[in-house]
Amino acid sequence: MAYTFRLPDIGEGLEEAEIIAWLVAPGDTVERDQPLVEVLTDKANSELPSPVAGTVLRLGGVEGDRLRVGEVLIELDDGSTDGADISTEANQSSVTVTDAADNSSSVEKTGPSESVTETTTAVGSTTARVKAAPATRKLARQLDVDIARVSGSGPGGRITHDDVRAAVVPVSAPSHPGEEFSTTEDSPSPIGEPVTTDTTLGQMAHGRHPLRGIRGVVARNMAQSWSDIPHIHTLDEVDATLLMDLRARVRSMDRPGAQAVTPLTLAAAATARALRRYPMVNGCIEGNPADTIVVHSSVNLGIAAATSRGLVVPVIRDADLLDLFALAATISEVADRARAGKLTAADLAGGTFTITNYGALGGRWALPIIPPGQAGILGLGTIADRPLAIDGRVEARPTLPLVLGVDHRLVDGDLAEAFKRSLMDDLAEPLNLLVGS
Amino acid sequence: MARPSDDQLQSILEDMVTARVQARRLWNLQRQGQVGTVAPIDGHEAAIVGAVHALDPEHDWVVPQYREPLALRRYGPEILDSYLLYNLGHPAGGHIPDPIRVLPPQISLGTQIPHAVGIAWGMTLQDEPGIVLVFFGDGSSSEGDFYEAGNLAGVIKAPVVLLCLNNQWAISTPVHLQTAAESFAAKAEAFGMPGILVDGNDAAAVYDAVEEAKARALANRGPTLIEASLYRLGPHTTADDPTRYVPADDLAAALRDDPLELLRTELRDRGLWDDDTHAATEATALARFDEAFEVAKTAPLEPDAVLDHCYSTDTQRLARQRTELLGRSSGGG
Amino acid sequence: MEGVDSTSDLTMVEAINETLHAEMARDDRVVLLGEDVARNGGVFRVTEGLLEKFGEQRVVDTPISEAAIVGSAVGLAIAGLVPVAEIQFLGFAYQAMHQLAGQVARLRYRTQGRFEPAITIRAPFGGGVRTPELHSDSLEAQLANIPGLKVVLPATPADAKGLLATSIREPDPVLFLEPLRGYRGIRGPVPNGDHLVPLGTARTARSGDDLVIISWSYQVELATRVADSLAPEGLSIAVLDLRTLVPLDVEAITNAVARCGRAVVVQEAAETGGFASEVIATINDECFWSLEAPVARVSGFDVPYPVGMVEHLHVPNEERILAAVRQTLDAG
Repeated sequence: MAYTFRLPDIGEGLEEAEIIAWLVAPGDTVERDQPLVEVLTDKANSELPSPVAGTVLRLGGVEGDRLRVGEVLIELDDGSTDGADISTEANQSSVTVTDAADNSSSVEKTGPSESVTETTTAVGSTTARVKAAPATRKLARQLDVDIARVSGSGPGGRITHDDVRAAVVPVSAPSHPGEEFSTTEDSPSPIGEPVTTDTTLGQMAHGRHPLRGIRGVVARNMAQSWSDIPHIHTLDEVDATLLMDLRARVRSMDRPGAQAVTPLTLAAAATARALRRYPMVNGCIEGNPADTIVVHSSVNLGIAAATSRGLVVPVIRDADLLDLFALAATISEVADRARAGKLTAADLAGGTFTITNYGALGGRWALPIIPPGQAGILGLGTIADRPLAIDGRVEARPTLPLVLGVDHRLVDGDLAEAFKRSLMDDLAEPLNLLVGS
Repeated sequence: MARPSDDQLQSILEDMVTARVQARRLWNLQRQGQVGTVAPIDGHEAAIVGAVHALDPEHDWVVPQYREPLALRRYGPEILDSYLLYNLGHPAGGHIPDPIRVLPPQISLGTQIPHAVGIAWGMTLQDEPGIVLVFFGDGSSSEGDFYEAGNLAGVIKAPVVLLCLNNQWAISTPVHLQTAAESFAAKAEAFGMPGILVDGNDAAAVYDAVEEAKARALANRGPTLIEASLYRLGPHTTADDPTRYVPADDLAAALRDDPLELLRTELRDRGLWDDDTHAATEATALARFDEAFEVAKTAPLEPDAVLDHCYSTDTQRLARQRTELLGRSSGGG
Repeated sequence: MEGVDSTSDLTMVEAINETLHAEMARDDRVVLLGEDVARNGGVFRVTEGLLEKFGEQRVVDTPISEAAIVGSAVGLAIAGLVPVAEIQFLGFAYQAMHQLAGQVARLRYRTQGRFEPAITIRAPFGGGVRTPELHSDSLEAQLANIPGLKVVLPATPADAKGLLATSIREPDPVLFLEPLRGYRGIRGPVPNGDHLVPLGTARTARSGDDLVIISWSYQVELATRVADSLAPEGLSIAVLDLRTLVPLDVEAITNAVARCGRAVVVQEAAETGGFASEVIATINDECFWSLEAPVARVSGFDVPYPVGMVEHLHVPNEERILAAVRQTLDAG
């Protein structure tokens, strides 16, 4: 078999050598280490000895030829059964270590992955990089805010923590302020209304799907709330007799906006009052690890709404400052826009407390999850007749089941019960809402 | 005068022949692209082997430069095994196993001289019998470490023998450009120790000189500087072309005084050596070399060996780097 | 009153001296060598009394040969001893760099573990005392960049004892760098009896939440004074004493910066290529996302260590450290 002897680097970094004189010819028998050829390099004339004993088969060039290191110098038949190609590598160690060309793996420490943003278009994308401290960027990612679209109020237009928080879109909304929030199809938004059948509900093709879009945002937010917020829930029922009575009387008023008043409206009003009565519940815990208590100055009620794409929570700003009709009108208006898929990020930002009306979906009891950045959620079940003990007798009364969920880092049981009691008192006797607290 | 016995002379010649044959084989391997830069031993055999035969391998240390290892056969087969790994560029090439009293080759010229002084000093402090023999060349004697270490050795009376192999050339620099001193041995005066000039082509003479120096050291009379004058019969290394600077006549004259031939002739004339013995010695040396090289070529090499033995245990950073390296080499990461 | 669990109030010199006495008594193999270390007890009296106690075999006045001091320490280690060599001033280590970097640092690696280089090299460094040229130079970054060496710099007498004892017992070579200005300038409680501080553990010299000053050696003292001076303003400034540059306590740096979000690194050495660069790179690697502001450096200028009259402009002082702290607090 042929034994191929390639021109080695014999001079510590030579590239090539010139064949000066062959000392053997094809057909010659040679011994191991017998000089085969004289070559000229930058450094010196050198004789190259044969690595094996055998017969010369073929010369790799003629006298005067310049060979590059690695090119075939000579082929010999060494009498073995396998061919051999003597490497020009000086090191014949048996283990090869993978080439370190893959420099991405040399970065062991990578920061948290960039947030999945609902990148719809590159419209309005900035060419200059925004200025924000690493901690601010991390906060933005944690709160699902696209920092590139936040305007900075800090020195030199730098984005501050507060700037990021102001741009927060709670729960399941996309984080592009000013962009339209679109759903692929209209869906009945069951705010205060019985749910109509949604034929797409629960439908998804078999197989694996990327967790993206609203589903992805909801998933992340829910998981974050679940892990960050230690929830306690306190469950109760309110005798809704007077509530339903008031609602009927309001709706019979011949005044614009009267029709929009629903039990949800009254619940929202009662909630706003309770939040004013107990400001701590209108707050939240911040920091990772948690190190700050924030008590909000405004009462911004988020009202959860189900759409075919997922849950959205438009926010009614300064809900405590709206009278009943204004509150009802606002809730109705955002419900319309949610149905039409026309909610903006501004509609979804800044909530301080959330109401989820799963009663409209037919639900009775639930343990709702507090959205990230808040400390409380009120769940309302279906108002239905239930047996209640009234003055020692059992009577059928319309009953509103409700669940108050709070962040136990901020709100203990005593406050939760007091808050809930305040709420229930106002729902049981809605005329309380007319009286200052 | 402590001349080697006839048995010792035969053993010395055997080691010299072995060293030369193995060194030439190593040279050829370099020309075949299988090992890195090699320093040939031609002309140095008598001085190195003669010196080493005056030592007691169980107690005496040998601190080499880089040309000596093949001539240190007296200290055990492990020297050849590790030297081949060294030439292959394998990390294990620097490991000469305990309890062999030889240090691995030193590339940084002269730096081994303070080490040798330190070892000798340490042995004295622990009342350990034995001396240290350190080799260095004419060129190395110009490095600061030679003077600092020689001076220190003199002051503390370290039981060390400083053996300068003056082969007349430091690559292309002849000795008259290396020093204006009368000889390298003469520099001993600056250190307050005896300086002995000896014919480096005469193995027995070198043996003598080292034997005497050893006795002096063991009697607590301090170190000695020995200059063994010889000639570099080949190039400095495989990367050198001496025809550019060595006068042809000088080389021709030196070749006539080839120390190996000198001793071979002497012993043959005295009936202590013959051609058959010579051939057999060469054959054995080659066979031993080939066998050892086959083993060395297949020495295992872990993917993270490059990180081993920097510290007694990995620092946190090194541990991370090790994980990184292993991740890459396994194709992951 | 001294007892097993009590402490003694010592200067840096006293703490080091006491430790050398203790280690030489504990282990026969420990040998001291250096210039003026024996009869003179060291030019700063750090090795006072050791010749008398342990004899001239184990406490040796060497010729003025830094390369031979360091090189023979290699040989002593090969022979199985535990050499503690002194370089009279760290700047003189340049005369032995080839032995430090090429030999001491590589003995284990080159011989694949055959020899254990249990070598300690002690040297004072640092400015503010108007020394002649090369007597104050800070080489710690250059040494830290030599794999195989460990670099230890105590800032307190207690640490001088604990770290030196550990260094001498360490199987790897240690550069033990002592603060010149702190020899007599720093006094503090030192635990009696056996006291070891592991290498690679930083010390929280001062707790705080708003900003952490990271430093080593004498600068820790200055950093602490600056931090104390800001307390009346309600500012909570931490001080992290790294203690060892190699091995580096990465976790301590990470925790401090993650907690505070702001950091200032102080070094006497020249700015470019100083060890502060390594600290900041480490912060980048480990806790970048915690940063509220860029990490500031306070260092010497990019000039050779200057002469006495202008030295005070070069060496970081409380004023410059304070300015950097304020700037970093205000940023972001």
